Amino acid sequence: MKRIFALLLLIWVISSLAACKQETKSKSGEEKWVPEKAIEMVAPAGAGGGWDTTARTVAKVFSEEGIIDEDIGVVNKEGGGGAIAWTYIHNLKGSNHHMFVSSPPLIFVPLNGQTELTYEDFTPLANLIADYAAFAVRADAEWDNLNELFEDMKKDPESISIVGASAPGSMDHMQFVKIAKEAGVDVTKIKYVSNQEGAPLTDLLNGSVDVYSTGVAETVEQVKAGKIKVLGITSPERLEGDVLSTFPTALEQGIDATFVNWRGFFGPPNMDEDAIQYYEEKFKELSDSEAFAKIRNQYGWSEMFMGHEEYKKFLKEQTEELTELMEELGLAQ
Amino acid sequence: MNTVQGLWQGFQVAFSWEGIFFVFIGVTIGTLIGMLPGLGPITAIAIMIPMVYGMDPTIAMVLMAGVYYGAVFGGSTSSILLNAPGVSGTVATSFDGYPMAQQGEAGKALAIAAIASFTGGTVSIILLMLFAPTLAQIAVSFGPVEYFALMFMGLVAISSLSDGSAIKALISGVLGFMAVTIGIDAQTGTPRFTFGNANLLEGIDFLVVALGLFALAEVAFLIKNRNNVGIEKTQNIGSLKLTRQDVKEMTGPLLRHSPLGFILGVLPGAGATIASFISYITEKRFSKKPEEFGKGSIKGLTAPETSNNAATSGAFVPLLSLGIPGSGTTAIMLGALLVLGINPGPLLFQDHPEVFWGVVASMYIGNIFLLILNLPLIPYIAKILKIPRPLLISLIIMFCMIGVYSISFNIFDLYLLLAFGFVGYLFRLFAFPAPPFILAFILGGMMEQSLRQALTISNGNFMILVESPIAIGLFILSILSFAFPFIKNRKIQKA
Amino acid sequence: MGVNRVLKSADRKISIVFILLAIGYLSLSYQLPPYPFVPIDSDLVPKVLGFLLIALSIILFLNANPKDQEEKKSSVSRQDLRIFILVTVLIILYISLLEVIGFVIVSMLFIFSCSWLLGYKNFKVNAMVSILFPITVFYIFNYLLQINLPSGMLPF
Repeated sequence: MKRIFALLLLIWVISSLAACKQETKSKSGEEKWVPEKAIEMVAPAGAGGGWDTTARTVAKVFSEEGIIDEDIGVVNKEGGGGAIAWTYIHNLKGSNHHMFVSSPPLIFVPLNGQTELTYEDFTPLANLIADYAAFAVRADAEWDNLNELFEDMKKDPESISIVGASAPGSMDHMQFVKIAKEAGVDVTKIKYVSNQEGAPLTDLLNGSVDVYSTGVAETVEQVKAGKIKVLGITSPERLEGDVLSTFPTALEQGIDATFVNWRGFFGPPNMDEDAIQYYEEKFKELSDSEAFAKIRNQYGWSEMFMGHEEYKKFLKEQTEELTELMEELGLAQ
Repeated sequence: MNTVQGLWQGFQVAFSWEGIFFVFIGVTIGTLIGMLPGLGPITAIAIMIPMVYGMDPTIAMVLMAGVYYGAVFGGSTSSILLNAPGVSGTVATSFDGYPMAQQGEAGKALAIAAIASFTGGTVSIILLMLFAPTLAQIAVSFGPVEYFALMFMGLVAISSLSDGSAIKALISGVLGFMAVTIGIDAQTGTPRFTFGNANLLEGIDFLVVALGLFALAEVAFLIKNRNNVGIEKTQNIGSLKLTRQDVKEMTGPLLRHSPLGFILGVLPGAGATIASFISYITEKRFSKKPEEFGKGSIKGLTAPETSNNAATSGAFVPLLSLGIPGSGTTAIMLGALLVLGINPGPLLFQDHPEVFWGVVASMYIGNIFLLILNLPLIPYIAKILKIPRPLLISLIIMFCMIGVYSISFNIFDLYLLLAFGFVGYLFRLFAFPAPPFILAFILGGMMEQSLRQALTISNGNFMILVESPIAIGLFILSILSFAFPFIKNRKIQKA
Repeated sequence: MGVNRVLKSADRKISIVFILLAIGYLSLSYQLPPYPFVPIDSDLVPKVLGFLLIALSIILFLNANPKDQEEKKSSVSRQDLRIFILVTVLIILYISLLEVIGFVIVSMLFIFSCSWLLGYKNFKVNAMVSILFPITVFYIFNYLLQINLPSGMLPF
């Protein structure tokens, strides 16, 4: 009996959804805006990176779940740490069929003086996911929490080095600086090494450096295997998951700072209000879908949906915080 | 779970119909992608990720691994026939492979490359199988100091990469080193020599330089010589058959560079490209007839071709035993593992032995497929050289353009490609060797970064460079390789 | 000894070019903004490279044999030079139009005109290759490999 009822319910949902779709289609142009041609989704980097992965999976879920009917083509535009793609999108003022995926480099790269464009030159559509930073040391290291590490850094900054995959003034560096500063460490004395060619994790494992500043997901398996330990993460609350839930946050260690590696989508400047609303709704639908929840799980991303207005406010706060920090280091241009 | 059990399990996966089918698909796609100049395994595998979603993880990895080593295998073809490296790992292959093809021995060159690739690949799989658990330790044994020493050893040999003037080789090397300093400096975030151009911030792509200096510069010479009488000779494919003498020539490099390439592949900071260069220069440095290198030497072709394929298998060690990606391609495969629901890390070996052993076992089959696939095709592929010159030239230019475009999708890189084509042409016109330029470009950049990483860690104390036994060993090797030609000459004089 | 005589050797001219290049490179190296938090800043290696290039160029200059006349240079004939320039112009056109009118059409035009320019007289084969090749490549890239080459004005 239950099963039949469920089946009937399902049929009803599907048919009403189908009806809905037809309705919006028939009314298109009058009330609700819908895309009129294929949408171009730009990944501001080459194939295979974080931006590219996000864009390709989002495009795939949009199509497979039938959230957006029009084709979505993912286009890679590499160069300038994203600046090439940003210029490209910026030149498409008013287009309702272009967007790009972005994350904190959209704040760092302009602050480093490598492009004139900032998030304000684009239309924030929606944020989808959040990633957090983790600070790891070797399993046999003398420190067991962030405070012990930072105490030693205050006493003898010359003896401790930190490794990350990005250049100073970008993510892996600034996320560490932000937390360390709040803990009272002299941030101008932090010894930061950038390793882009090899894997920074090897430098930690073989003892070349002491601390590895990275994303939470990169540490889980190494912790499980007992190779490293995570002293602290930058999320506001503990994360969910077997190993993840054992990582203490900086906040709970009495350091009043967080860092979020957000990831969301932006359109060109002067996008139509109707189109913004359309994409906002679609991204919300995507974010709520089970298919995307599964992907989030696989990559270890946290859900962090923000609509157009909320996103704008969030970006403003983030920019202000980071500007102050980079000015102190003399990195802001 | 011991090796035998693991391998047995691996072979069961690899020898299933599904396994064999996907290895075949993988190596075929890989070979094709490898042959197209510029387009490499990174792009191909990145694009495959959404497609393999939901597949059996082992089979998906078998497929992607096939694309990877298949591309390095196939990349030698365009290096040899057109002087246009198919993937970055086969740039060094063109140093002697292309001259051989020019002398009417394209068939032989391709056959040697295929056999060297097969041997390098197969030997390294055996090494991988025998030493997998211990290899993980080698993979993390190199820090900034050791990488500095390794790159230093490679750069010391630059002066030997010229058949004419050593000064010209050194100048070419310095220019290559200068070219790699363009872009954001990783240790300080300072943009260097970018002239405010955002296109230069991420530096110049290795393949843009390689395709410009080698392929486009060669096109210029083809244009100049398009009506020459001697052209029939280069159109000649020659026999595929290797003489006993050829095989004898190959044996030494095969034995030396299979293990060397493998170990360099295991190091996350080195990989196939660096392995092929280091193999080429050490082979030349310690050769009895260094003057033959660069003119179609069998040893000069065998060494890098063995090494790059050995390194490709080696690159799976840090990926599958530690969850550490050593190269762009393996970084993408790490992402693929996540999508497939497998967490890459030190426990992968323990939790999912079937993935590790499945990939290893499939590589045996894959390498055999590649050999069967490539050898009979050589006469047909080499027919490319029979295409009328004007048409061939136009097609090479188009493929170089599209190859570079598919790396960054940035028009600016195409102008850079053209510029490096000019540089390469002028180099040849004035008898400056191009290999030192490309060698310094790849080794120099890493040498500078690892040196400065080491010194930041030591607070500026240079003593850190001689505190590591591995580094000391490499420095001694550098001195030996520098001194070897002089010692050899003295011996000859005495005799 | 006149300047012309001193610079007669091609190598001497090149070494002057390289010295100028090194000076330009060095002057940019000296302008690099300092970064106070590392022991070795971004300018050290470039400065070493710049001076090294000057030193090597001087050696090249001194070693060059003035009698070694520019035989190589003269081997580029007028006609070759004209073809070089035309092919370069074609390549520049190809690059600048690639994203505007799309891969397929621009490649057809390029292959046909470039082959014709280089003296390929068989128009039928040329036209066939020029038309079939770009279409096949476009199909392989965009559909089999899913690498989006610019489609430009074409509707697909």
